[in-house]
Amino acid sequence: MLNAVNSRDARANRLLEKLPQEDYTRLSPSFEFVNLALGEILYHSGDEMAYLYFPTTAIVFLLYTTESGATAEMGMAGRCGVLGIALFMGGKTTPNQAIVQIAGGAFRIKAKIIQDEFERGGAMQHVLLRYTQSLITHISQTAVCNRLHTFEQRLCRWLLYSHDCLQTDEIILTQEIISHLLGVRREGVTVAAGRLQDAGVISYVRGHIRILDRQKLENCACECYAVVKDEYERLLTL
Amino acid sequence: MLATKLRSNFTKTEESNNHADNRLLAALSHKDFRLLLPDIELVALPLNKILYRCGDIIRYVYFPVDSVVSLLSEVEEDRSTLEVGVVGNEGMTGIAVFLGVKKSRNQMIVQGAGTALRMKAADLRKHVNGGGRLQFLLQLYTHALMTQISQSAACNRYHLVEARLARWLLATRDRLDSNEFRQTQEFLSNMLGVRREMVNKAAGTLQKQGLITYTRGVLTILDNAGLEAASCDCYRSIKEEYDNFLN
Repeated sequence: MLNAVNSRDARANRLLEKLPQEDYTRLSPSFEFVNLALGEILYHSGDEMAYLYFPTTAIVFLLYTTESGATAEMGMAGRCGVLGIALFMGGKTTPNQAIVQIAGGAFRIKAKIIQDEFERGGAMQHVLLRYTQSLITHISQTAVCNRLHTFEQRLCRWLLYSHDCLQTDEIILTQEIISHLLGVRREGVTVAAGRLQDAGVISYVRGHIRILDRQKLENCACECYAVVKDEYERLLTL
Repeated sequence: MLATKLRSNFTKTEESNNHADNRLLAALSHKDFRLLLPDIELVALPLNKILYRCGDIIRYVYFPVDSVVSLLSEVEEDRSTLEVGVVGNEGMTGIAVFLGVKKSRNQMIVQGAGTALRMKAADLRKHVNGGGRLQFLLQLYTHALMTQISQSAACNRYHLVEARLARWLLATRDRLDSNEFRQTQEFLSNMLGVRREMVNKAAGTLQKQGLITYTRGVLTILDNAGLEAASCDCYRSIKEEYDNFLN
């Protein structure tokens, strides 16, 4: 039985969980809890970012927008990650759009505070740099995935990632959201979800996806899920 | 011997700002650069040399001078590869070391022969510890590299092989500063993540339009403006990101 994540516990975010108590105590007065609504845009590409977000139960999708306006998936960040790494990488603006794919909680912290903390060179800097490396792997793998894998495989990868973040078997995702974020037509979503339903992997009723068989879902996903997850676990446990 | 030659060159040109031909290092002050000098050496990188594979411990980081290195993702299921980024004289290979990670998740292969300044991974860690200008420059570079990889992810999703080949040729031309370079179909297939027949077909299309010739492994760009028109917009966006991130 999975334990649902408490959205108001900042330490439910795995990066914040990694911080030593002393660092966490120093920073915790600066964290502000926010509810992120489905479809809310945390920043557009080219925006200056005011906050860094550590999700607890929300999952945020990173979209890259090409000059011609087409968007493509780059990565995701739920309670395993953080949004706005450009802030501590010295770039003020972000090349991506960050859009909430699953509503939920997050803790945010002002840009200036996190930049000062980063400059201290302590545990927060270490965690953020290592997370950056895992995000680079994630984005590189997305490049491979976008090139080689079917929509159905990508959908499975996406559901597995969401399942890991949320720790619940039920995920609320409308066809519109899937279609917009993964860049496929709605009919494509219907077909792929229908096939997974017929195979007994998920049930899909009125925008509610229930994962029925996690093992089968893993078998249906491409290797990209495991590559990204293994790298993340390796980097964050050392 | 190369290293000795390098050091004497540095002494000679100390008064000029051009103390290193890698732009990332050139953005350091003379004082900061001099601190690195005992730990860097000039090396020659031959075409197609693999600096590290996925899973290897990164022993050295390389700051290309006139060489160009491709950053490839390896696909586990069939051992194929796909280029997700390029490192030239604006950058450094092995950014993972800076981010506190020892092993590479990518393969790095030399796509343009030339020279690079290299430094032991442990020395890089030593020099960036405690912050300072080098750390800041590497942060900016990480950001630029991530932008490039993101653009690749989008490009792979939407753009046709011909457009991607055109983009790749233009980027390579810029970095090698030459309209002619040697590349096998196999290499191009590893870069673009498509089968050799697809590379052949895409090159044939560009050739028919009079934009390039491709014979006996030598690619020649005949019409730069035409090739830019045939390329996707990713070429220009990435170029701008790299031209500007140090400003």
